[in-house]
Amino acid sequence: MTVEVIYTGAVIWLVVLMFACGALLARGPRPGSRIVALDTLVLVLVALLVLVSAAEDRTFFLDAALMLALLGFVATVAAARYYGEGGPFR
Amino acid sequence: MSPIAVLGEVLAILALVVITIGVIGMFRMPDVYGQAHAAGKGGVIGVLLLLVATLTLGDWQIVARAILIGGFLLVTMPVASHVVVRAAAARGEPMADPDHLDERPPELRPGRRPS
Repeated sequence: MTVEVIYTGAVIWLVVLMFACGALLARGPRPGSRIVALDTLVLVLVALLVLVSAAEDRTFFLDAALMLALLGFVATVAAARYYGEGGPFR
Repeated sequence: MSPIAVLGEVLAILALVVITIGVIGMFRMPDVYGQAHAAGKGGVIGVLLLLVATLTLGDWQIVARAILIGGFLLVTMPVASHVVVRAAAARGEPMADPDHLDERPPELRPGRRPS
């Protein structure tokens, strides 16, 4: 009973944090802040998937979290390279 | 309720607190470098604490994936933060402190636009 309340509150809180990261993404005065906010948003989503996986006792949420971590890293590096160097392979 | 389950829940709540501190740091820090500092440390340590909390479930399928995700995050997040901050420095994003120590190498000084 209390465990379910804790899990529900934690999931809601992580969604609130994702919205906070989205606000930072919209606010960020310069592109560097936006890239950092996007990176953190992906990280919070990974944490949310890990939490849901532990609560539901299903493993495929963890597979999704692993793939999302991989994709988030590649996306962050590509965005930063576009911003700093003008292209991902320069 | 076994003590190991209590430990898992305490670790999960601690992870949420650390992630929250990271996001608050992103709101409070005035420039990109401080934001990357707060987000990198807070986010990674929070997710790692959450993964350690899932280790207390004891299922080897969950444990294997958690170790994989944790190791991958430990390898990639410093690289991602470094790339973002380097790009910001190359584009000449200002630091909030007016008399900061500028340790940028010559190829990252402003004035040289990336071709």
